[in-house]
Amino acid sequence: MSKINERLKKLHTIALVVALAVFLLVVVYEIHNLDNNSKRYLSEHYISEGVRETGAINLVTSVLYDYRAFDTLGEATVILTAAAILSLLVPVSKATMLGTKFSIIVYQTTKFSIPFLAVLGVHLIFFGHLSPGGGFVGGVVLSIIPILLTITYGVEFSESKLKPAKKKLVEDIGAIGFILLGLLGVVTGSNFLANGQANFGPGNTGELISAGLIPYLNVMIGIKVGAGLAIIFNSLIKEK
Amino acid sequence: MINLIFNLLMIFLVITAFFMVFTKDISNSVIALPVFGVILVVIFVILQAPDAAMAEAIIAAGLTTVFFVITINKTEY
Repeated sequence: MSKINERLKKLHTIALVVALAVFLLVVVYEIHNLDNNSKRYLSEHYISEGVRETGAINLVTSVLYDYRAFDTLGEATVILTAAAILSLLVPVSKATMLGTKFSIIVYQTTKFSIPFLAVLGVHLIFFGHLSPGGGFVGGVVLSIIPILLTITYGVEFSESKLKPAKKKLVEDIGAIGFILLGLLGVVTGSNFLANGQANFGPGNTGELISAGLIPYLNVMIGIKVGAGLAIIFNSLIKEK
Repeated sequence: MINLIFNLLMIFLVITAFFMVFTKDISNSVIALPVFGVILVVIFVILQAPDAAMAEAIIAAGLTTVFFVITINKTEY
C-alpha cells in the first residue's frame, strides 16, 4: 500500500510539472501570435522614435529610465524597504557562519577578481545608455564584491573594510538623489521624472554625457542597488 | 547550424530543470541552478537580447547561488 502511495506521489509531481508546461506552451503560443493583431503601435513608437526623443542608444535603458521611469522608482523602493526592514529586524549579534576552511586558491582568486568586478560594475553603470547593461545590473555586480569578501574572509573583515553605516549612507544618497533628479523635471515645468519632454536637450547621441538625465539616474540606481543588496546579505548572514 | 545549436540548448535547458527539481541532494540542486543560468544566457544572446542576458548571468550565477548557499549553511544541512 505504501509503495503505491509513493508511486502516486511521484506521479502527482510529474503531472503538476506537465500541466504547467502545457499551460506555458499555450501562453507562449498566444504571445507568439501577437503581431497578427495591430496592437503594437506603442512598441513601434519606441523603436522608431526612441533614440531621437531620449538620446539614449540603448532602447531598453530609454524605456526604463525615461518612458517608464516611475516603475524603476518603484523597483528601487522595494530594495530600499527590504534592506531597511532587514537591518531593523535582525538583531545585532556576533555573526556565526558554519566554518569552512578554504584552500589558498580560493583566497587568491577572490583577491585577483575583485578589481575586475569593480571596473566591470562601474563600466556597466556609466555606459548604461550606450551599451547593454544599466544601473541595476551594474549595481548587482558591485554588490558581489562585499558578498565575496564576506564568504571567503568572514563578516568581521568585510565590515571592517566596508562599514555598514557607510553602506547605508550610500544607499540613502541613491534613493534621495533619484527623487531629487525626478523633481528637476517638475522644476523645469514638466512632469515628474520627465527627461525627453523637459528641455534638458539630448546632447550628441552616442557620447558619454548625453541623453539628459539618464546617466545620472543610472548612477543613482547603481549605487543604491549595490549598497542595498550588500546590506541585505550581511544582515541575513548575521541572523541566527 | 544556429538552429541546431539553439534546439540542443533548449533540450539541455529542460534536462537541467528536471535535474534541479528531481535530484535528491540539495547541494546538487543549488549547483545546477547556475548551469541552467549559463544555458539561458547563451539562448538570450542567440535571441539578440544582451540586456536580459547580462541580468540573467549576474543574478543567476552570482546572487541567487550565494543566497542559496548561505541559506543551506544556516540550516546546518
